[in-house]
Amino acid sequence: MTDPGAAPEPTHAPLHTVSRGRARWHRGLVRPVLQRRADVVPAAQAVAFVIGIVVALIAGALLLLAAGNDPAQVYGRMVDSSLGGINSISRTLLRATPLALAGLAVAVAGSMGLWNIGAEGQMMAGATVAAGFAMSAGDLPGPLLIVMMLIAGAVGGVILMVGPALARAYLGVSEIITTLMLVEVSIRVVEWLETGPWKDPESQGFALIEPLPDQASLPGLFGRAHIGALFAVALLVAFWLAVSRTAWGYELRMAGSSPATARYAGISLQRKVLAALLLSGGLAGLAGAIELTGTATRLDPGLSNGYGFAGIIVAALALMRPSGVAAVAFVFGAVQVGGQSIQTLGVTSSIATILQAMILIGALVAAVLLNYRVRWVRPVGHPAAEIAPPAGLAPGGAPPSGSSSNPEASGV
Amino acid sequence: MSEAAVVGLLVATVQFATLVYLAGLGELIAERSGVLNLGVEGMMAMGAVSGFMMALATDRPWIGFAFAALVGMAVAGIHALVSVVMGAGQVVSGLAITIGGLGFAAFIGQDAVRERADAVFTDLGIAGLADIRWVGPILFNQPPVVYLAGFLGIAAWFVLNRTRLGLALRAVGESASTTDSVGHSVTLLRSGAVLIGGAFAGAAGAFLSLYMAAGWTEGLIAGRGWIAVALVIFGAWRPGRLAAGSLLFGFTLALQPRVQTFDLELFGLEVNTISPALLGILPFLLTVVVLIAISFRARHRPSPAPAALTLPYRREER
Repeated sequence: MTDPGAAPEPTHAPLHTVSRGRARWHRGLVRPVLQRRADVVPAAQAVAFVIGIVVALIAGALLLLAAGNDPAQVYGRMVDSSLGGINSISRTLLRATPLALAGLAVAVAGSMGLWNIGAEGQMMAGATVAAGFAMSAGDLPGPLLIVMMLIAGAVGGVILMVGPALARAYLGVSEIITTLMLVEVSIRVVEWLETGPWKDPESQGFALIEPLPDQASLPGLFGRAHIGALFAVALLVAFWLAVSRTAWGYELRMAGSSPATARYAGISLQRKVLAALLLSGGLAGLAGAIELTGTATRLDPGLSNGYGFAGIIVAALALMRPSGVAAVAFVFGAVQVGGQSIQTLGVTSSIATILQAMILIGALVAAVLLNYRVRWVRPVGHPAAEIAPPAGLAPGGAPPSGSSSNPEASGV
Repeated sequence: MSEAAVVGLLVATVQFATLVYLAGLGELIAERSGVLNLGVEGMMAMGAVSGFMMALATDRPWIGFAFAALVGMAVAGIHALVSVVMGAGQVVSGLAITIGGLGFAAFIGQDAVRERADAVFTDLGIAGLADIRWVGPILFNQPPVVYLAGFLGIAAWFVLNRTRLGLALRAVGESASTTDSVGHSVTLLRSGAVLIGGAFAGAAGAFLSLYMAAGWTEGLIAGRGWIAVALVIFGAWRPGRLAAGSLLFGFTLALQPRVQTFDLELFGLEVNTISPALLGILPFLLTVVVLIAISFRARHRPSPAPAALTLPYRREER
């Protein structure tokens, strides 16, 4: 990752080495080269996010037209159902809550350069342990039961993360794959519980897990939203404080951006990796428990509902920053609520899934284009080859303004 | 347990193995070039739905199959553009393709749901061999895609290990800057590998919709794309071991719907009491174990994982 405060990078035109051997099949092609802009676009990622939304809406409109729907009507219904009025907003918050919590979980690991791809699984694990606790201690009073269930949820997420975290910290095993694999494991464990050990004796032929005790549901906030939304905001603020205002957070970021520096500074990388991943897993587990107590009457294998995977996209779009996580989670929540609402118009809710993915792809491309210039170069030796301008004189090579801040743009 | 049940299990094992082998081979090619493709699941869904609809329209399974490969390739083009050409994050780009691909497939497949295709692949029934007891139905009476997958595996092995192109492809997965400095185009090599991988994933999806399920529903892929990702690691990034791994994973997949009908006792355990869901965990847990084993072994020998896997390359920033 490039430090924006540093001197502009040398802007040589890239030299093509003419190869020997048979690798000449691309010689002579004019090709695009991405060159980092010296002048930083302010709030590049926010701009990229908005561009992503616009791109997604246009692409979605084309799809709807092709399928014979009226995009204006569909989008109108989506906006109305998710943002038009207090009840609609409460529905959006209901969806934004797990998205923000999962996004936060991913962002905690992401702020030190680690990928927790398994938030979906840790949510499941958290919900499972929380449900298990509720089944064995179902006669506790409501508030106590809920608090214990939330703690149990965090523990469940941590349990699923222990293996990947230890393997990453001490053996260098990529956390990307191990966390991903455990998603499938945890969902199948719930499927197994559903058909056997935790099967509701009253469900007869259906595979259903025993319902939660009545008092195990989170208090409501307004409309459909529950106080989990407040937890999400509080945790995002706490994360922001921890990362940007404490030595621990500083070391965490340093360990991610420059492991060698961190080592010289006497920071134990292994401990930082363990801490970041276990915290990430615990937060995702908590998200699962909140989703269980906030929205469900019983545990089922569909509880995590893709929130964990969407949380990765949320965190990536937010560049792992808490304020961004909140904003993106809210937008995605609205898109999801909108997707549900258009089913009454005969449009499938899958349009919401497509929109979310398109927002990400659009924003990824936009972020690169905002932070890089595209130059078309010919190979050296070609008659029309571009001549390398001396460093610092390249167009756009203005000295960087020291105050502008946009460190990790395009760092997705 | 009757002979028919055992043969049926093994026939299905070969078919499930083919399914995950095709997708896994595509993932292997992409990963050997240094690009992790977490979009397989979405590419398979797109291949499954488009192949099925094309076969419905043309009445020819092969046209559907080929179309699915093209669609898989087109979807992979997005991944190549974002993660290779633009150099943005492979992990996020791949996940977006899985999520978007599943959504897109559901969207375009709305009308195809529950449609029964008559134009599906039929078993080849190789004359004279298909009638042999045990071996015949398992090896010589399979749909043509099974043999195609075998051929593609050998071809992939040959290209990767015995040609200059394969050498360049493996090199770019180990060190992009080195490969660049000898004059190969990192962008072309990696994009090409991702596109081929997408074609394989799309074809695998079509095998599912044009033979194994003979239809399209929204949850058709059901995590088989993730199994393909796991399989590449289990197979240590080599086509041969990938084949062995796919037979093992294919066996667990084939066993899941059947296990509770088996009247058999193994080591004092009634087989029909095994939970299908727990069986389904096996490929994923085994992959985690293999990953950890590889890292232990890596202290003595080089890891089989491509060194530049997930690392984007921008020449100007090396």
